[in-house]
Amino acid sequence: MFKNHLKIAWRSLKRQPFFTFLNTFGLAVGMAGGLLISLYIYDEFSYDKMFADADRIYRINADIKFGGSIMKGSEVGAPMAAAIKRDFPQIESVTRIRDRGGLLIRKPEAEANTKESNVAFADSTFFKMFGIDLLVGDVTSALTEPNTLVLTKTAAEKHFGIQNALGQQLLLNNTDTYTVAGVIPDFPKNSFLRDHDVLMAMAGFNDAQQMLWTSHNYFTFVKLLPEADIADFQAPLQSMLEAYILPYVQQFYPGMTAESFAASGNYLKYSTIALTDIHLHSNRSSELSANSSIQNVYILSFIGLFLILLASINFMNLSTAHSLKRAKEVGIRKTLGSNKSELIRQFLIESGLISFISLLLALTIALIALPFFNDLSGKSIAIPFTNFFFWMILLVAVAFLGLFSGSYPAFFMSRFVAATVLKGGGQSSVGGGKIRNSLVVFQFAISVFLIIGTLVVFQQLKYIQSKDLGFAKDQVLLIDDTFAVGNKLLSIKEEIQQLGQVSSVTLTGYMPTPSYRNDNSFFKEGATEQENALQMQNWVVDHDYLSTLNMQLIAGRNFDKRYPTDSTATILNESAVARLGMAPEDVLGIRISGDLGQESPVFYTVIGVVKNFHFASLREDIGALGLFLGSSNGALAIKLKAGNFSNAIGNIENIWNRMAPGQLFNYRFMEDSFNTTYQAEQKLGRIFVVFTVLSILIACLGLFGLAAFNAEKRTKEIGIRKVLGASVGQITYRLTTDFLRLVGIAVLISLPLGWYAMSKWLEDFSYKIEIGWWVLALAAFLAGAIAILTVGYQSIKAASINPVKSLRTE
Amino acid sequence: MIQIQNLKKSFRTEEVETLALNNVNMNIAEGEFAAIMGPSGCGKSTLLNIIGMLDNPTEGSYQFAGHEVGGLKERQRTQLRKGNLGFVFQSFNLIDELTVYENVELPLIYLKMNKTERREKVKSVLERMKIAHREKHFPQQLSGGQQQRVAISRAVVTNPKLILADEPTGNLDSKNGIEVMNLLTELNQEGTTIVMVTHSDRDSHYAHRVINLFDGQIVTESQNRAMGAML
Repeated sequence: MFKNHLKIAWRSLKRQPFFTFLNTFGLAVGMAGGLLISLYIYDEFSYDKMFADADRIYRINADIKFGGSIMKGSEVGAPMAAAIKRDFPQIESVTRIRDRGGLLIRKPEAEANTKESNVAFADSTFFKMFGIDLLVGDVTSALTEPNTLVLTKTAAEKHFGIQNALGQQLLLNNTDTYTVAGVIPDFPKNSFLRDHDVLMAMAGFNDAQQMLWTSHNYFTFVKLLPEADIADFQAPLQSMLEAYILPYVQQFYPGMTAESFAASGNYLKYSTIALTDIHLHSNRSSELSANSSIQNVYILSFIGLFLILLASINFMNLSTAHSLKRAKEVGIRKTLGSNKSELIRQFLIESGLISFISLLLALTIALIALPFFNDLSGKSIAIPFTNFFFWMILLVAVAFLGLFSGSYPAFFMSRFVAATVLKGGGQSSVGGGKIRNSLVVFQFAISVFLIIGTLVVFQQLKYIQSKDLGFAKDQVLLIDDTFAVGNKLLSIKEEIQQLGQVSSVTLTGYMPTPSYRNDNSFFKEGATEQENALQMQNWVVDHDYLSTLNMQLIAGRNFDKRYPTDSTATILNESAVARLGMAPEDVLGIRISGDLGQESPVFYTVIGVVKNFHFASLREDIGALGLFLGSSNGALAIKLKAGNFSNAIGNIENIWNRMAPGQLFNYRFMEDSFNTTYQAEQKLGRIFVVFTVLSILIACLGLFGLAAFNAEKRTKEIGIRKVLGASVGQITYRLTTDFLRLVGIAVLISLPLGWYAMSKWLEDFSYKIEIGWWVLALAAFLAGAIAILTVGYQSIKAASINPVKSLRTE
Repeated sequence: MIQIQNLKKSFRTEEVETLALNNVNMNIAEGEFAAIMGPSGCGKSTLLNIIGMLDNPTEGSYQFAGHEVGGLKERQRTQLRKGNLGFVFQSFNLIDELTVYENVELPLIYLKMNKTERREKVKSVLERMKIAHREKHFPQQLSGGQQQRVAISRAVVTNPKLILADEPTGNLDSKNGIEVMNLLTELNQEGTTIVMVTHSDRDSHYAHRVINLFDGQIVTESQNRAMGAML
């Protein structure tokens, strides 16, 4: 019987190539999309799970409100780790990581530096905590000595090869000599340290040994004892505030108590996050690697589900529409003694067969699409062909999909009444139109929803990119790691300044795009109570900063070389002025200091107020900031005149190579640096586009098939209408409007939903677009246009048939 | 074999109730060859469908070989139909996706007969119907007469007690039509009961008895004394 079913199924598929193609291709596209998304999500959930005891490792977070600024920190003060180990018996071990950023590195005898972009200080307990074995070197002594470091395999191979690395010396940033104490395997691509290549010994880092409780710079990890409960650690963790932080802070704020701290509206809250939750659930002011978000995983899951649902709806619609042709067969089988359950089984076997063929096609599609998908998502996912469980899950999923998609058509068709379908060729009895129509409405509702999503994401991205940021990022060239050049840097700046293609140059590591940051608490002279604290960024810049980045002064003046006293002057931004509770004109001349609790604090006179400019993501409000005159040699920003940029860059590089031979000439445009802040949105935008197109494609395949069957079913009607004098246009209109009505209903359903969902998404941004009516109109128009194109072809084709031919079929 | 008493069948659309069969009483004995005639819409096919257990009567009683059929569930009707009834249609109603052999084999599969037995039966019936040389062909590759021979093969392969034929020659030319009628007569002479709906006076003469239906009621019944007189 099974063989007979399979045979019939195969032959009936072969006899209807058009139908079979629509069905399998639609299903395969849906499956391929679903498969890729599943692999993506699987990868997202795999982060940091490879570390031994990952389920017992937690990071300490700190949420801080102080001096008018709110910070969601992922780091705590240096002494915290040791205090936790001492005070909490349920803690097996603690380790700290301090991000060091980029580093120039070379063998002492080598001339040229290479750049390691992600370097961190780590405690020697690091390896034991994360269960990392050294490829060479001794795990118990590694990083215990000052001025030692551990390289990853990749970094070691760059300089010495793995076997020769141990004991070798490396010169960091041209100044510090470090000895290689070991080599570890590269960090997995799905780990929180994936981009890090060099770990330096915390042991020799002075800052790490200081009791600086409120300098939150240390990622602090704890590992619980196996039997310990995180809740028992989490609750008393807050006691650290009174035990350590307050006594420390009282040096600067005599008499400050937990009550007065809380009464002023400030807070410092400690919490923990599981290591394995960091990738998807942590989005804090600094992270060791860029994290993803669970929200994106949800969005993608929904899109994946939608895709498969769309494909399976297609299957149902096409199959029930197609049942016109199968009705006779059902009737015959019933008269010959088949009962309903046998027919259901037969149709389910048929849908199972289609699912299976689609699976093969889907795997092919996924394989072809994988490189593009990886590019799109920034991952390096592979299809785990050799994994037994992968196949098991896949086969179960496909069987389920076959059953799910096949069930409605199977029950639908097996219900045909033999007497009726055999008599009238089945036409009159085959209904199911209402359900079919609802399914089409559902499909298009999803498509319109995704169109709205795509339009809004892209509009928001465009808004971000074209927003007045308060500074001009266009035509600004950034040269990084300029500190390596040492004292020749000012001469280099001078020379570049002389170039005809350059309009202005500034030398500082503090850029509005991702770069150095430094914040501190400041006070207006004579107001040193904690509730008057002004927590703000303090950036060290030179005289040319404002002009190079085209920032606007709204009060006062820029730093000026004619005033030597400007070395103790500051320019505040609007947010800082607002925090002081003053108007921009009134703030000029007042003095502020960051040296609270010191004997002879240095005071800075406010000489100007700069218009607010964005220096963090547009998701955040603009924080308080002060500019101070001084020398910061992290980077050069060069404003180029319009014209031939590559020529200008060539000239700048020539100067660089002449003045700083052997030093890396590391440049990029500020525009690109700016865009890195929005990579997540850009990724999301691209993914939206791809899957929206896919879902529309699937919906169109279904609509195309339905239109074809509809036209076929109405052949006689069309013939009669034509005999009675209807034109091709009238008939086409008639056939097309039926479907357009469905699309119209879909649009009505999805417009409010799409508007609501995307408004929610936009809430994450402090600076965002309004969703205009035209976005909704455009989405509706696109859906309508696509539907007309899809259905129109079939309609015109059907309407053009010679009526003699269409009437003869009866 | 067939006892029908006060049978009524009505169809209901949204507004109108149509009475297709009204107080039909008839008996058909085992071994009989009966023809049901009447103009279009008189209820012939409805009656045949009820006799064939494809449809239930609205009222009245229908006994098949002693079993009351009216009111049975679809599953029970299917059970009773299997092996007892064979159908021959005007439009042949062969499954296009199956070969001649497979079409004929199908009712045996539903009877859960084993493969060897099936092959034997199908082969012999195909040979008898002189269509064995076409067993690997699909229905569309055959002429109308050949298709109807396949359909008859399929109807008789289970050795049914009753064959129901709904205008079996309606789509055939006269030569093929006569051939089909001769086959049915032959089957009847071997003991199979046949009930046939027809428009054709010629075909009706093959039957022992002609039942004339008009507006859902039996109006006349006549015996054909000279069986096969038109040959």
